[in-house]
Amino acid sequence: MSNVHERLRRLLFLVPYVSKHPGVTVEALAKALNISREDLLEELDLLTCVGRPPFNPDDYIDIYVANDRVYVDLDQRLFAPPRLTAGEAAALAAAAELLRPSTGDALQSALTKLEGIIPPAARERFRDMFRKIDASADAPPALGPLTRAILERLEVTFGYASPGRPPEPRRVRPYELLSHRGQWYLQGFCHTRQDARLFRLDRMEELAVTPTAFQPPPDARADVPNPARGTSEASVRVRFTPTAAPYVKERFGQDARPLADGGVEVRVAGDSERWLTQWVLSFGGEAEVLEPASARAAVARAVHASIGS
Amino acid sequence: MDRTERILDLVALLLDAREPISWAELREHFPADYGGSDDAAERKFERDKAELVELGFPLSYVQGDDERRDGYLVDRDVYYLPEADLTKEELAVLYAAGSAALASGAFPGRDDLAHALRKIGFFAGESLPTPRVRMELGTGQEGQEKEVSARLEQLWDACSAHKWVQLTYGSPRKDGVTERRVDPYGLALRRGVWTLVGYCHLRQGLRTFHVHRIRELKVNTARPRTPDFEVPADFSLDAHVAYFPWQYRFHAPMEVTLQLTGPQASRAGSLFPGAALEPVAEGVARARFPVTFLDGLVRFVLSLGADCRVEGPPEARARLEQMAANILAKHAPVEGPRVSA
Repeated sequence: MSNVHERLRRLLFLVPYVSKHPGVTVEALAKALNISREDLLEELDLLTCVGRPPFNPDDYIDIYVANDRVYVDLDQRLFAPPRLTAGEAAALAAAAELLRPSTGDALQSALTKLEGIIPPAARERFRDMFRKIDASADAPPALGPLTRAILERLEVTFGYASPGRPPEPRRVRPYELLSHRGQWYLQGFCHTRQDARLFRLDRMEELAVTPTAFQPPPDARADVPNPARGTSEASVRVRFTPTAAPYVKERFGQDARPLADGGVEVRVAGDSERWLTQWVLSFGGEAEVLEPASARAAVARAVHASIGS
Repeated sequence: MDRTERILDLVALLLDAREPISWAELREHFPADYGGSDDAAERKFERDKAELVELGFPLSYVQGDDERRDGYLVDRDVYYLPEADLTKEELAVLYAAGSAALASGAFPGRDDLAHALRKIGFFAGESLPTPRVRMELGTGQEGQEKEVSARLEQLWDACSAHKWVQLTYGSPRKDGVTERRVDPYGLALRRGVWTLVGYCHLRQGLRTFHVHRIRELKVNTARPRTPDFEVPADFSLDAHVAYFPWQYRFHAPMEVTLQLTGPQASRAGSLFPGAALEPVAEGVARARFPVTFLDGLVRFVLSLGADCRVEGPPEARARLEQMAANILAKHAPVEGPRVSA
C-alpha cells in the first residue's frame, strides 16, 4: 500500500474526527491516528493548504491548534469519515472470527450491520476479500464470560483440573486473556493459591462470574508460557531424532542444541506431567526423554495407558 | 502541488459540487497539475481517479442531456459513513477482536483493520471498551513477529489485487530453500500459525505455505491494477488447510473408527469435529471420520490416554501398536544418568 494512500485515508478521517471532537488534545488525536505528535503537526500543516477551487479564503479547511488542542472551523464538508472500504470491512470481519465461538449472537448481528454500511458497490468485493482470510480459531466458549468478567472487574470461580488430580475449586481475579499457539490462557490472581497464576481455559469446569468486584493492578501482563524457559531445577532433557529436528529447531531456535547425529536436544519444564507426556507422544517415537528417570517413566506409563497394557 | 494535497482538493471540490464537473473545468481549476499536453494531463488525472476509487470515493461520470452537462459527480449519500447502530455488545465484540488482532503483531490487512476500527469507533465516543485479550499469532518462534507481520501485509495486498508473488521458501522437510511463483488465493490461521494457500507454478497445483517459513517475498508490481489470475469460484480455504494433524493431505483418505469412554466420550464432538458419532453404551461413544495422515491421528490418540481406542481399520491399530512399541523401547528404564550423543 502506498504512503500517499495511507496518508489520504488518515487525513480523510482526521478532519471529521476533530469536527466531532472539537478541542481534542494533540496527544489524544495522535493516539487515535497512531502517529507521532510531530507527524500529526505536519499533517495539520498540510491540511491548512487543502480546499476547493477557486481557493478563496473561505474555501480552505480551517484547522488549527490552540493551547495544545485542535479545532476545525471550516471542514469543507469533511464532517464524517468515508464509509468502510471493502478491504477495511473484510479485515475487521476476519479479525472478529477470532472470537466467534465465544461471542454468541452479537458477532453475527454486528457483521450483518457492518455489511449494511459498506457501499452497495463494494459488497461483492467485501465478500470476496473476506473469503481470503480464514482466522476462525478454536476459541473456547469460556472466552465470552471471562471477557465480560475482565471488563466488569468481577471475580470468577471455576473447577480446575490439574493433571492427574480431580478438579479443584478456584476463585480468581481475572486480569487478561492470552492466546498462545492456539491455546487460550487466563492470567489472574488466584485466591486459593494466594498467587498470580496462568490457567488453561480448556481445563476449566463450571465457570461462574461472581458479583464480587475487584481493582486490577495497573500493569497485569501475563508472561507467555514457554516450556523452554522453565526453571532449571525442574528441567527435563528431551532428545529428538534428525527427522523431528527441523520442526523443533523452528520452534525453539537457539534453545535447541544440535547433536552429532543431526538430532537436537532441548530442556523443558517438567512441572506439568500431562503436558510433557502429551508433547513427547505427539512426536510419535521421534522424541525421547533423557532425564530425569521419573519423566521417562511417566512417558512409558502414558503409552501403556493408551494401549491398555 | 503535492499529490496528497491535490487529491484532497478534488475531494473537497467534488463533495461540494451540485452539478457535474467537466474535465475542461477540472483543468481550469488545477492549471499547474493538469496542464501540459492533453495526454500527460489525462494520464495524471486517471491515476488520481484510481486513487479516489481505491479510497472508496463514489466517483462517477455522467453523460449530460438537455438539463445536465457531462462531467464527474460524487454520490454524497454513498460517501459519508452512516451510523451502524451497533449495540454495546456488538461494538465490544468487534472492537475487542480487532484491537486484539492488531496488538497481536501479525494479522493480514493491518492498515485496513486499523482504519476500520477508527471508523466503527467514530460514533461511539468514549464508550469503547479496553480489550484485555492478547493473541500471539502467526510466528514459529519468538522474535519473528515483525517479519511475519510484514509478509502478511504484502500477501494481503497481493491476495486483494490478485497479483502473483515470488517467494523463497524453506520447508523443514527438506534441506535448503526453493524459489516459487505463487498465485495467492488466501490466508488461514490455524492454532496460531498463518498459512498461505495458492497455486504454485513450480508444482503446478494448489499448495499451502506457512508464512513464517517464507524467507523472501516479492509481489509482482507490473500493471498493479490488472489482476494476474482468477481464483476458481469453488475454491475454499477450509478445504486446503488442516485444522488437525490427521487432516494433512499426505495420503488417500482412510475411514478410522475410534471408541471413546469416560470423560472423553462426552467430549467426542469437540475432540473430533465433523466426525460421525454414535452412542455404543452408557458413557461410551464411537467416532468415525476420514483420515489423510494416519500418524497424526495415532499420536493424538496416544496422548488421549486409556479413554480413547482405535477400533479399526486394522492398519490403523497396527500403526498405533508399532508407534507405542517404539516409544516404549526408547523409554525403557536405564541405569544411572544418560549422556546424549
